Amino acid sequence: MTATMPRSTITTPTDREIRVERVFNASRDRVWRAYTDPAQVAQWWGRGNKLVIEKLELVRGGHWRYVEHSPDGEDGFEGRYREVTPPERIVRSFEWDGMPGHVIIETTTFEALGSDRTKVVSVLLFHTPEEQNGFLHSGMEGGMNESFAALDRLLGAKA
Amino acid sequence: MVQYSSGLDTAFAAVADPTRRGILERLGRREQSVTELAAAFDMTLTGMKKHVKLLEDVGLVRTEKVGRVRTCRIGPRRLAREAAWIAKYQEMLEARFDRLEDFLEHTKGDR
Repeated sequence: MTATMPRSTITTPTDREIRVERVFNASRDRVWRAYTDPAQVAQWWGRGNKLVIEKLELVRGGHWRYVEHSPDGEDGFEGRYREVTPPERIVRSFEWDGMPGHVIIETTTFEALGSDRTKVVSVLLFHTPEEQNGFLHSGMEGGMNESFAALDRLLGAKA
Repeated sequence: MVQYSSGLDTAFAAVADPTRRGILERLGRREQSVTELAAAFDMTLTGMKKHVKLLEDVGLVRTEKVGRVRTCRIGPRRLAREAAWIAKYQEMLEARFDRLEDFLEHTKGDR
């Protein structure tokens, strides 16, 4: 596998967040549609795998559910919209079938940089007392601070 | 009981590498043989064995050899599943942005 320079910036603003940003060469309206029109979402969100948009109710409280079909099997992702502010901001809960009950809040903001460039910032907020407990009581050396400092380095290493 | 001589730092260093994060992500879904992993990452068996050994040394992966097949699964460290989970999200975010970029590029001019 060839390692390519990531074109995104990944940071960990707090212990519980992963933040990714990237600038796209497209107007904010186009980027907004790519995120919200099911026909368009299906063309990229699955990372090259077939993606079935089972639900995309783009209103506060609305459900979304996408299922990715890869050679390894199916991966379902779902949640509800908490905030939909076109064409600036989408906040939704995000749950992967593989870790049921582990809900993440995903906030995506779209910032117009002139007429044909858009900065997209995605922040994943992990609500993970279980994981924190796991870290704390896993019999590993060190306390929470050390764990999170190490986690921060892990996440920072990608940036 | 296996003792892990390496500390947290080593565990995290083990998953600082994108290939090893990919391995954890795959094993988070289901166990796989070293051969399957090598094929999935388009890598030689020797190269994959090194990655797997590194992950195994820090307890993130567990392997078992039956006959000629070495099967890998997520390791005994409680961190392992969480590391696989976070690795998955990171990889997904990156991969999605790549795809979105391609999509926006080739739909340029569509209106």
